[in-house]
Order: sequence, then structure tokens, then C-alpha cells
Amino acid sequence: MKSLVKLEITRALRNRKFLFFSVIYPSVIFLLVSGGYGGTDRIDGTGLTVATYMMVSMASFGALTAVLMGNSERIAKERESGWVRQLRLTPLPGRGYVLAKTASAAVVSLPSIVVVFLVAAAVKHVRLDAWQWLALTGVIWIGSLVFAALGVALGYLASGDAVRPVTMITYFGLSILGGLWMPTTTFPKWLQDIASWMPTHAYAALGRAIEESHTPQARDIVLLAAFFALFTGGAAWLYRKDTLKA
Amino acid sequence: MTTTTRTTTATATPAVAFEQVGKSYGDVRAVDGLTLALHPGETVALLGPNGAGKSTTLDLLLGLRPPDTGTVRVFGGSPREAIVAGRVGAMLQSGGLMEEVTVEELVRLHCDLHPRPYPVRDVLARAGIAQIADRKVDKLSGGQAQRVRFALATAGDSDLIVLDEPTTGMDVSARQSFWATMREQADQGRTVLFATHYLEEADAVADRVLVLHRGRLLADGTAAEIKAKAGARRISFDLEGTIDEAALRGLPFLTSLDVSGHTVRIQSADADATVHALYGLGVYPRNLEVAGLGLEQAFVALTAAEEAKQS
Repeated sequence: MKSLVKLEITRALRNRKFLFFSVIYPSVIFLLVSGGYGGTDRIDGTGLTVATYMMVSMASFGALTAVLMGNSERIAKERESGWVRQLRLTPLPGRGYVLAKTASAAVVSLPSIVVVFLVAAAVKHVRLDAWQWLALTGVIWIGSLVFAALGVALGYLASGDAVRPVTMITYFGLSILGGLWMPTTTFPKWLQDIASWMPTHAYAALGRAIEESHTPQARDIVLLAAFFALFTGGAAWLYRKDTLKA
Repeated sequence: MTTTTRTTTATATPAVAFEQVGKSYGDVRAVDGLTLALHPGETVALLGPNGAGKSTTLDLLLGLRPPDTGTVRVFGGSPREAIVAGRVGAMLQSGGLMEEVTVEELVRLHCDLHPRPYPVRDVLARAGIAQIADRKVDKLSGGQAQRVRFALATAGDSDLIVLDEPTTGMDVSARQSFWATMREQADQGRTVLFATHYLEEADAVADRVLVLHRGRLLADGTAAEIKAKAGARRISFDLEGTIDEAALRGLPFLTSLDVSGHTVRIQSADADATVHALYGLGVYPRNLEVAGLGLEQAFVALTAAEEAKQS
């Protein structure tokens, strides 16, 4: 299994287009969004500056891109090409394929998080304590597993031409509704209510709690855990269904 | 019995055992009550037209699909257990390859996954792909991809090799060298099962031929026996005067009779006996010819006979 993980990582790091989108792109958006604001402008309802607030949003967005975009499409394509079948002719345990995909996504998502932090610190002078930087990295990185599971589920759910639009709609829906692109406080009330149920909203809220040195809200943790259970359960169910069919 | 380290006695656990195996897709019975056993060391061809159930049979054998009824055992255990133990190497037509990696990386992965791997370099050389080891998998021709699949199936020391139409996409010389490589595998005492619709391959390579038709085993024997079973000799001759068709039809071992003008064409399962009896009828056949049927014609005759029986 280790060798498949290694090969998946090598392959992910070789794919420049994918690397650009998941590692560089979030930092670029971060600079564009926070660029117009001064260092002391604050987001309504929080004590955070725009740059600090958007840093967590974009780090979460980058991690989401890395774990969701690559995997769903790859899995759908590889199911179709028969690579998944080919692997079932080897002693590799069934879960090995999904674990390798998740591991390679995690390897790409880590730099996408760290690059946003570096850019925020260097260009927008975001300052946090050392423990906050570490905790932020850890929480956003580990939290991205929720969406890695979603990526796997989508890869087994959709196939062929459908997988890209389905992934795109999910990706933009989660990003925008979850408030990763703009704070949900700018939304009308009814949309804010919907947004508060988004896993991405809870995900970014965990990061912000660390920035504000709060304990994270229990509701966010429970919500995220529930989505994780839903996505992994769904992925496992779809995987088994696919196995019987193929 | 060969003198290898592998168990090759007929009394040993069969390499593959199907017991009343059935598999349907909706209303279509892809495999219908199939019972068969492959013995260690045999090279067996699975022969049948498209839709005969060859691919489904291989899928069931490899545990890629569960049977609806019956049991499939590989070396006495489940197919998956045999694969995990590294006893089975398989090459499927539908088996895709990982893209964006090199041939060597892909072969190395399979060597790493096998419990008793061969050195990567040997695997590449044996499959004849050492010179394209650095090429990206997505840039291969159909024949090259087949060779890579073969390399993946032989990355380790397996006891059973399963090949689904392995020479598809290869030209004639590639095909010949492929079968030479395959024979080496068989000579080392491995059990080899391959599905094919290239009948000459079954004839030339296999010790035993299984003919599959509509998910059922139509014939099981050596290529020569299969030919014989389908009335594998063609006898033709001319007769003068009126021809007594009823008498001709009574000839022993006759499987088909065709009279046009003065020319009589007969297919016979035992040409010697048929010709002997022909003279016994008191006729004087002229221009007598006896010719063997190719396996292809034998096969057509077998499946046609089966279809006639069913309708």
C-alpha cells in the first residue's frame, strides 16, 4: 500500500495545472479580496481584520480545492478506464486505493494552506502567536479530510462527463455558501441561515475561533463530525456498490 | 508430471474449480450452471464467440463479481484469498492502466504489491518493454499497453496466470513472441488460462480447450478432440447415376451430408470408418478426398449444432 501512496503523491506533484490551482490560486484570491482593505478594517461581528479573516477562508478554500477537485474526477475516470479493476487483481486491500488518493490529496493540501499563511504574513502583515499558526495549520489540514471523503464519494457517484459539473457545483456551492469567498455576514438573513448549516462554514469557523483565541463552538464541531460521518459512510456505500458491479 | 516445485499431480487441489456457477445480468444468463476444474500445470484455452460468457467467467474466477449461484474456488479458497496470497496473476482486456506515470513506475508498483515479486528489470525484459520503460503509460500503442498488462500479470511468482484475449492489438510477430513468452510461463509449471477468439491460438498453444456457448460448457478436450467431436473430417467424392441419399445418411460417424448434382460432401467424426462403410454400400466413389477441418470450422459446427438443438 505504501508504494501506491508514494506513486499517487509523485503523480500529484507532477501535475502542474493541479498544483497551480490548489497551491497558488487561493493565495492570489486572498490578495485580490483583502487588497482593497486597510490593515485595520474589521469584519462585522468579529474582532478580526479583513486580512486575518480572509486568510482562514482562503486557506480552507485551498485545502478544499486540493482534496475535492483532484480526487473526484480521478476516481470517476479511473473507474471508467478499468484501473480500479486492475488494482483489484493485486493483493492491495480494497481500501488501499481510497487511502492512497486521500493521502496524496493531503500532501497537496498542506502547502496550499501554508502558502496562504506565508503570503498573509508577508504581504498583509497578519500576526498571530506561534501556537495559533500551528493550531490553524493542523485544524485546517485535518478538517480537510471531511471534504476528501466527499471527493471520494462524488468520484464513485458520478461518472463520465457528469463528474466535472457535479464536482464544480459542489465545490462552488460549498465555497460561496460556506462564506469562504466573502463573509456570510454580507448575505441576506435567509441565506445566512442556510450558510450556517454548510460544512465549509463550520470548517472555517474552527479556524477563526483559533484566531480569536476562543474555544471552538460545539455546534461547529458536531456539524463537521456529522458531515464527515455522512461523507465517509456514503463513500463506503458507493464503493461497495461499485465493487459488486465491476 | 513435471518435476517442478509446484504441485502438479491431478489429485492435488484443482487450481480452479467452478461448481454449478450461475450469473445473470437482468434477463441475460451470462453464465449458466457452469462446472469445471482446471488442474495445476495445464494450459487451457477458453474459446467462444462474443457474448458466450468468457469475460464473465474470468470475472467470477478472479472474484471481480460474485456468482448468483454455485461456488468458485481458486486453489481451494476464495478467489480473493488466492489473489492476496499472490497465487494469481491476471491480465484483463478491461483492465485499465494508471495514467501520468511511467511504465517502469507502474511495473514497480505491481512488484511491490506482490508477496513474491521478481526484480523490476526482469519483469520489464520478459515482457519486452525494457526499451519503453521511461515512457508515460498514456502514450502507449495498443500492443504496447497489452505488453505492459502482461508485465503486471507476471510481476511476481504466481501459480495461475489468467489472460483475457491477450494478443488483441498485437501484430503477427508480436503475437508470436508473446506466445513464446507465455509458453515459458507454462513450462515453469504454471497453470495458464486464456480466453480467445483467435482459434488458431487455442489450437497451437493450449493443452486443453473449453468451448463456451451461451454461458455453458459446450465441449472440453484437446483441440484434436474438439475437432473430432464436431465432425472434424470432411469427405467429398462424386457418384454416377442416381444417388441413394438414405443409404448415405446411414453411414457411421456421419455428422452432416450435402449432395449437389453428383458431388457428395460428408462431415465425419471418424473418416476411416465412414469411408470403409461407404465402400460397403457397393458404390464406386470417384475423386475421393478426405480433409481435416480447422478448429474454427469445428467450432462453428459445434455452436451451430447446439443452436439447432435448442430451437
